Amino acid sequence: MDRKRLVVGMAGNPNTGKSAIFNALTGRRQHVGNWPGKTIERAEGVFFHGSWEVHLVDLPGTYSLAAQSPEEIIARDYIISEEPSIVVNVVDATSLERNLNLTLQLLELTDKVVVALNIMDEVRRQGCEIDVEALEAVLGVPVVSTVATEGEGLPQLKTALVEVAEGYRQTSPTSIDYGLTVEGYIKSLEEDLAKLGIIGRSRWIAVRLLEDDPEVIEGFKSGKLSAWTLSKDTPFIYPESLQVLVRKAARLREAIHPNARVEIVRRRYEFAHNAVKQTFRRKQPAEQSLTERVDRIITHRFWSWPIMLAILVLVLWITIQGANLPSEMLGTAFAWLAERMREFLGYLNAPWWVIGSLVDGLIFGTGTVIAVMLPPMLIFFTAFSLLEDIGFIPRVAFNMDRLMRAVGSQGKQTMVVMMSFGCNVTGVFSCRIIENAKDRIVAIITSPLVLCNGRFGAGLALVILFFGDRALSVTLIYLAISVGAMLFATWVLNRLFFRREPGGFVMELPPYRKPKWGQIIRRSLVHQVGHTMGRAVMIAAPAMLIIWFLGNLPPDSSFEQTAVGHMVNMLTPLGRPFGLTGEMLTALVFTLPAKEIVVSSLAMTYGLQTTLADSQTILAHLARTWTPLVAFSFLTFYMFYLPCLVTAWAIWKETRSLKWLLMSLLVSMTMASVITFIVYQGGRLLGFS
Amino acid sequence: MLKIAYALQESGYALNGKELVRSAGLPQSLSREVAGVLIAFKWVEENAQGVMRLTKAGEARARELIRAHRLWERYLVDRKGMPLEGIHAEADRREHEMTPQETKSLDIELGYPAWDPHGHVIPAHGRRVPSLETRRLSEVGIRGSRLRILFLDDEPAPLLAQLITMGLKPGVEIEIINREFDILQLKLDKKVIPLAISAANHVSVIPAPALAVQLDELPMGSRVRVVEIEGSGKHQRRMLDMGFVPGSEVTVIRKAPLGDPIEYRVKGTAVALRQKDARSILVEELEIG
Repeated sequence: MDRKRLVVGMAGNPNTGKSAIFNALTGRRQHVGNWPGKTIERAEGVFFHGSWEVHLVDLPGTYSLAAQSPEEIIARDYIISEEPSIVVNVVDATSLERNLNLTLQLLELTDKVVVALNIMDEVRRQGCEIDVEALEAVLGVPVVSTVATEGEGLPQLKTALVEVAEGYRQTSPTSIDYGLTVEGYIKSLEEDLAKLGIIGRSRWIAVRLLEDDPEVIEGFKSGKLSAWTLSKDTPFIYPESLQVLVRKAARLREAIHPNARVEIVRRRYEFAHNAVKQTFRRKQPAEQSLTERVDRIITHRFWSWPIMLAILVLVLWITIQGANLPSEMLGTAFAWLAERMREFLGYLNAPWWVIGSLVDGLIFGTGTVIAVMLPPMLIFFTAFSLLEDIGFIPRVAFNMDRLMRAVGSQGKQTMVVMMSFGCNVTGVFSCRIIENAKDRIVAIITSPLVLCNGRFGAGLALVILFFGDRALSVTLIYLAISVGAMLFATWVLNRLFFRREPGGFVMELPPYRKPKWGQIIRRSLVHQVGHTMGRAVMIAAPAMLIIWFLGNLPPDSSFEQTAVGHMVNMLTPLGRPFGLTGEMLTALVFTLPAKEIVVSSLAMTYGLQTTLADSQTILAHLARTWTPLVAFSFLTFYMFYLPCLVTAWAIWKETRSLKWLLMSLLVSMTMASVITFIVYQGGRLLGFS
Repeated sequence: MLKIAYALQESGYALNGKELVRSAGLPQSLSREVAGVLIAFKWVEENAQGVMRLTKAGEARARELIRAHRLWERYLVDRKGMPLEGIHAEADRREHEMTPQETKSLDIELGYPAWDPHGHVIPAHGRRVPSLETRRLSEVGIRGSRLRILFLDDEPAPLLAQLITMGLKPGVEIEIINREFDILQLKLDKKVIPLAISAANHVSVIPAPALAVQLDELPMGSRVRVVEIEGSGKHQRRMLDMGFVPGSEVTVIRKAPLGDPIEYRVKGTAVALRQKDARSILVEELEIG
């Protein structure tokens, strides 16, 4: 059957359940969280309805289309590009008035809009109702009430989309009355635009000119207008005449009292206010909400601190405790798989290096990575998703903002830090919630300094080996160093690079919501299993192969003769001031693909074995040869020296700048060197050996 | 004459021939003629009891005249530099020569002014003349009340000139310090000036609006209304998009444990702002927590 193609863009405020609707419609699982600003990349999906093949494009969540942030520009440019035939505007019904601000801007930009009035269950729970038909009449476009998490209203939404696409349902978006003065100016500008041959969207352009929209003004000044005009055959326009228009708009702006931009937004909100008044009805008196009661404790002057700390410690504890058993089981399973593989290859008479590299290098190596990483990540991110879903995480940002301000940053970075405790890669990606460019870059660069689960877990084995009873206090010291280093680096970066740039913290505090368990578990499973496996296969596996060859070539030679042996000799002098040996540094080079494999890397570099397979012998060996001070210095360096390869890749992907990637590597390397130097030399001065 | 009729009707007085001529300062004998002319123009209709009402056309014409008058006054002051006390008579003459079209071009030419030089509101085309809760300064007896001068009567011209030289201009805020015999003691910019009650009768005032305060200074639980968003560029835009627009109601919810940021409820959403950012939002207090 030949299907008709329909492209639909999805726009909405952050945290309105846009991604939830997207996922429910397309069946593609995308991360949805209960905090503002999750989706920045363009996510796409397809669903079928009748004879239509509908392509959904999830646009970044924005409060406005004023082109003040990259997200707003992305969303706006996409709608202007005319690629989507229809725009679905997802609206949080519990804060209708604020959400309509975006809706009204969308209606100015395009007339094919369908409004999805989401989170209606919450509205009903509060004892309110919204007259959907009346709202439809006010806005002039179809309105569908939905509860995305339950799938309610989604069939109706699909139908509405198709009906608009087929022209069965006409849309005639309302137009806002900006008041006598402004309307007069708009008309006058529209006439001028018409004289220049710009007809399509002229009202929108006129309003933008009066609003002092930086992008549109820039376009007029440089003569690049094609992006906004409807007709492809816009006549040639002299740049001078455009500049005359810009000057005229500036003059008109001056005459609007008290401020053109304020007046225009005010009128839009006034319209929204009236629309809400006409359609929103409260059936029961409002009671003190759950959010209010909970917030009173969670943001309490005194209680907030122990509560936040307790929750963080609890999550980390559950992660470490709960991961032990499944990690062991996975390890056994991979060992079993490796043995079967060895038997099979032996049966085929494969050469020794094929068996060695495949079995001991690839299967055992990646198996170890998966076994060590997967269980803790699954547990940690399920717990974190839960906290995120109910709305706890934004409160942490709220509580912590003042502290983060002291180092020049802002509260949202605390969310990034918490994520980074789980995995630095996820931490780096989560920096997208910070809309301020400067704060975002600083958060990305410093997030590798936060101890992730991988380093924490692997390091813990060594900590227990060397410090036994005092393992807990040593662990806490590392945590403190980690957070301290992160704060210090944030402060230095802000001072060095962003002295003049103003920070800021504007954040919506969403109401607490009941966790959707199914969604949380599915999300962590799909996301983390997929993510970890992908990471293991894409980066760890080739690295494991290379390491195996380094440790075993040339064949049948003594340890000193192998590539690993040479590396050890080369690196030996470098480590001396820090109390580190060549073996340790080489091992750290090998842990770059995934930091979890540190113990078996040490086994290789100490020449105890030629693969990353086993860790029992090496632990016994280390316990004999390392002093506590050496162990402490090594662990310190190990914790901070460089982000793992995947984190580095994530930093590159998020900053798209070699400068900031190198800066991040430099920051962690410097931090590791300086702290280890202080620890080792200080320890020696104090009489430790 | 029509304007007088409009003013009478708007302020709730009975509209009849006698009242008209008295307000216009004409002899009583002319009352029938005056009413007759207005009725002939179909601007006024009269019922059996002799009570008159402005017709729709009459009201519209009266508003148009007021609009033209005030626009002319604005024009004479802004563009011709005429002194405030001379403009009333000139505008009185010119207002009758204007077609609605000409009034409109004058309005555009002047950039849609909102107030005439005396402080009266210039009504938009076809709109009612807005009525504020104005009182004569002479009627305000309470000591210590803060007032804003809304407008001065155009006539008598010498008194108008006198008041203006004293600094009593439209928009100025004053405070009544004392009232003794027939003299008001007014505080104006830290100076105290005396004013005769008879002169005060020509000054219209409204209660001075509460002083706008910065949003970050308010105690928890306060309910306020946004008056202005200071600043420009991204910051201002962001505040506007989060719902902080003039006229929005804002509730101060709570402070973060370390005192900053502060959570506010605006347009049905909870938003956290740092004190520094909240400072740029000027509000008037509705209810203090």
